[in-house]
Amino acid sequence: MTPDNHDIEALQDEVDDLHEHPRDTRRPGEAAFTLLLVAFSLFLVWSAFGISGFEALSAPGTVPMATTLIMVITGGIIAWRTVRLPQSVGEAFGRDILPPLLIVMALLLLGYALLLRPLGFLPTSALFLILAIKLLWRQGWMRTLLVSLGALVLIYFVFRIVFTVLMPAGIVPEGEMLQWVRNLIPGGN
Amino acid sequence: MDALSAFFTVFANPELLALVAVGTFAGVYIGAIPGLSVTMAVSILISFTFSWDVYPAIALMIGIFMGGVYGGSRTAILLNIPGAPSAIATAMDGYPMAQRGEAGEAIGITTVMSFFGGFIGIAVLALAAPTVSDFALGFQPRDYMLLAVLGILLVGSLSGESLVKGIFSGALGILIGLVGMDPLTFTGRFTYDLPLLQSGISFIAVMIGMFGVSEALAQIHHLDTPAIKQKINRIVPSFGTIRKHLPLSLQTSTIGVIIGALPGTGGDIAALMAYDHAKRVTRKPERPFGKGAIEGLVAPETANNAAVGGAFIPMMTLGIPGDAVTAIMIGALFIHGLNPGPMLMIDQPDMFWFIVGALVVANFFMLIFGLTGIKLFTKIVEMPRAVLIPLIMLLSIVGAYAVNNSITDVYWMLAFGVLGYFMRLYGYPLGPIILGVILSRLLDDNWRRAIISEREDLGRFFWGIVTSPLSLTLFIAVILIFVSQTPLWTRIKARHAARKEKATDQ
Repeated sequence: MTPDNHDIEALQDEVDDLHEHPRDTRRPGEAAFTLLLVAFSLFLVWSAFGISGFEALSAPGTVPMATTLIMVITGGIIAWRTVRLPQSVGEAFGRDILPPLLIVMALLLLGYALLLRPLGFLPTSALFLILAIKLLWRQGWMRTLLVSLGALVLIYFVFRIVFTVLMPAGIVPEGEMLQWVRNLIPGGN
Repeated sequence: MDALSAFFTVFANPELLALVAVGTFAGVYIGAIPGLSVTMAVSILISFTFSWDVYPAIALMIGIFMGGVYGGSRTAILLNIPGAPSAIATAMDGYPMAQRGEAGEAIGITTVMSFFGGFIGIAVLALAAPTVSDFALGFQPRDYMLLAVLGILLVGSLSGESLVKGIFSGALGILIGLVGMDPLTFTGRFTYDLPLLQSGISFIAVMIGMFGVSEALAQIHHLDTPAIKQKINRIVPSFGTIRKHLPLSLQTSTIGVIIGALPGTGGDIAALMAYDHAKRVTRKPERPFGKGAIEGLVAPETANNAAVGGAFIPMMTLGIPGDAVTAIMIGALFIHGLNPGPMLMIDQPDMFWFIVGALVVANFFMLIFGLTGIKLFTKIVEMPRAVLIPLIMLLSIVGAYAVNNSITDVYWMLAFGVLGYFMRLYGYPLGPIILGVILSRLLDDNWRRAIISEREDLGRFFWGIVTSPLSLTLFIAVILIFVSQTPLWTRIKARHAARKEKATDQ
């Protein structure tokens, strides 16, 4: 929806129906997602009931029960509406919802989280940036390396030095490195 | 006197001044680059600044907020891609102007008008907030509870595809906020005896996941959208143009402040309402609306910047955020040990006046950065998304890790990133989730306080609502939002539309 092909009347409609944009088709995977949310909400209602049951209106479980009940009801309405919609034509789950590239990026993120502690911030980030930028940008190795390592140096400088964020050092002798840099600056101790 | 010195803290302190400047500068670019948002930037920044003193941290974030609301207009004008939701209306007339080769003029007017609107918003904040907080001291727990529900419902009904999805998101947010040990009775809620869940879910991990990673994942679909280059001419608008549109800008600023001050509605709604207003009151525009009318730029830009000051009113006086960005600002105040609400205004009035001062400074910097540095701007906006996406992801992980030095928070963040990605794709609004997370504690505490003070009697509770004008008003507002979603309302609206059509036919 670009404002380009929007004329004034379309805008008028938008102002009028700011909260009503029902789609007339269902996207691939939408029905399954909605049903999953409902199932999850049902499980949560059961958990919420387990907190304190119907002991008292001010018990710790009252707001959780009310909240999860609202989730079940609204989730149910959404599911009812979604399942009845026709499947959208020309959209495929593997292309428009979860393309392979997206799965690879999500796996890279997971890999980053797994390696952060043992390997340390600098090597993990370098690895992540190089792989991710190479994959998405599809440029030569020289450019990829230059951009990703340049960005990493910048991020490291801003966040480690300016914001003094502590990240796991891992295999990099970070303390010694910083001390070495400080020694270069006269009076920088 | 104290208020005055607190107000001038930012002006007198070079470090704070520099931080507001850096924040505003960064905000303009973050708001302008499609794929980066103010919500994303502020939520990541909270984790980086939490070890700072509170003044510098707030100064930086206020700069980003102010600059970001304005920055969205740049790309709306140049590329027809609103950099932020509040700039959607700006694109309607801004892009046609750019197509005629008047991009510079459009940017100039936008900047000056944003500055003007921003000031009106701040002035109203300074004048109204102390009164509102005095008034808020008389609020009962049930009023706070109703306000929280109202805020979540409003955000839910105004963003996304349908109110039902908005309510679902809001409830999910409240639920996320409830996970952990109950602070009153120390009963575990949704903890399943896992130590991981007992301390609750870090709201920063939720925010960064929802607005950082999920947005970055969604951007992968738009890797190949090309950037369009524009030549930019004169920027500073003539005084005559500004004077001519002064009356309109006053009206639309007022709309902006009011809409911004309502809990749950922010700059995006304010801009659209102001645009609609301008269309109705402008008798003879030089050009028709939608084809490059200057009025079509003036209205949304004054309104969305005025809404910033407006949004701070409920946030500072009641602790109820107006939209996702203010929800995150409240999170930032929480992290620094401040508790926004009427007591903050009484206990620490300095903090309030400091924020007002910082907003004023940010507004000035916005004007300066808005009228300069266009060359640099066009370079930065052309930065390929393929490089931007991995960088956002990296910053999100660092941000989630940095708050508690906890890798668990990173996993939470990634999980919410993936969930947020699917919710985005299937039309669930994410704003209500964040509002729910931030407000869940307030909602739970106040419900329990209210019902205990009524001796656990629902009848007395409702009698209390009906007999208090404030509670009744809030209650009716909540009911009205629900009614607006039922078939009954649609029927009334259809009848109204038919009558209007008849009237225009005659």
